[in-house]
Amino acid sequence: MSTLAVVDACQVTAIATEVFAAMIDRRGGLLTSWSRGPMTVTDPLHAWVDLGTVPASRLQVTTDAGTAGEVTRAFLMKGEAEPIADADVVDAFGEIANVLGGNVKALLPEHVGLTLPEVSRQSPSGERAVLLNEALFAWRGRPLVISLYTI
Amino acid sequence: MRALVIDDSRTMRHIVADIFAGLGFDASQSGNGREALDLLEAGESFDVACIDWNMPVMDGLEFVAAVRARREWRDLMLIMVTTEGEHGQVVRALAAGAHEYVIKPFTPDALESKLALLGLLPAQESR
Repeated sequence: MSTLAVVDACQVTAIATEVFAAMIDRRGGLLTSWSRGPMTVTDPLHAWVDLGTVPASRLQVTTDAGTAGEVTRAFLMKGEAEPIADADVVDAFGEIANVLGGNVKALLPEHVGLTLPEVSRQSPSGERAVLLNEALFAWRGRPLVISLYTI
Repeated sequence: MRALVIDDSRTMRHIVADIFAGLGFDASQSGNGREALDLLEAGESFDVACIDWNMPVMDGLEFVAAVRARREWRDLMLIMVTTEGEHGQVVRALAAGAHEYVIKPFTPDALESKLALLGLLPAQESR
């Protein structure tokens, strides 16, 4: 049976670095490992996909809402003065979770299904969720977390 | 040359359509396989379709199978552009009738090279 427990933080970091360099920043070096001590994400926005492992698991991306807007701006290649709609943020941030989840899924020994991405200000991973791994990043200096849970 | 970008993410449709436009294509967009089939059934004609796998209503693999089942659409080139990167999934898509496969994340160059492999770059045609 596949489980996300076989995926470690280094693998998540490698995937995230590639995803941000290829699709969001169009160059490397803007997503780096967090090195400023404990991370606090205020006004968080969460995007996630669930994987059909046994037990079921989740890849969740969390950052503050302002950073999610800036990630969206970079993803869509919009200028600083151009407005970013909330719907754009939901779509882009969800797609980032989808791409990260798909690439993490490819590390598993067996094929499992992947849900469509969801985005919310409320974390979907409540008390029953078990944190398996967490990779902390600074994207252009702003905090961003990728978490793997059993749900 | 006309391209159809099929993805439930507006962001991805926008980005892929921009890449096509930069290569000289006239790019249209659909939010899922069903919407794309509706365009084809309405008589719209495309040279290539870029298809996400995981979409609501009708997924990419179902779309590929539906296109391949229709003789009149046999010239439509199909490129899966998806996060489904496992070898088995690539084989499934190619077996269903996709011509090429691009795994997200990808760069514009990666998509351009697939189009070149399929002989679909407008610049190549004029040579």
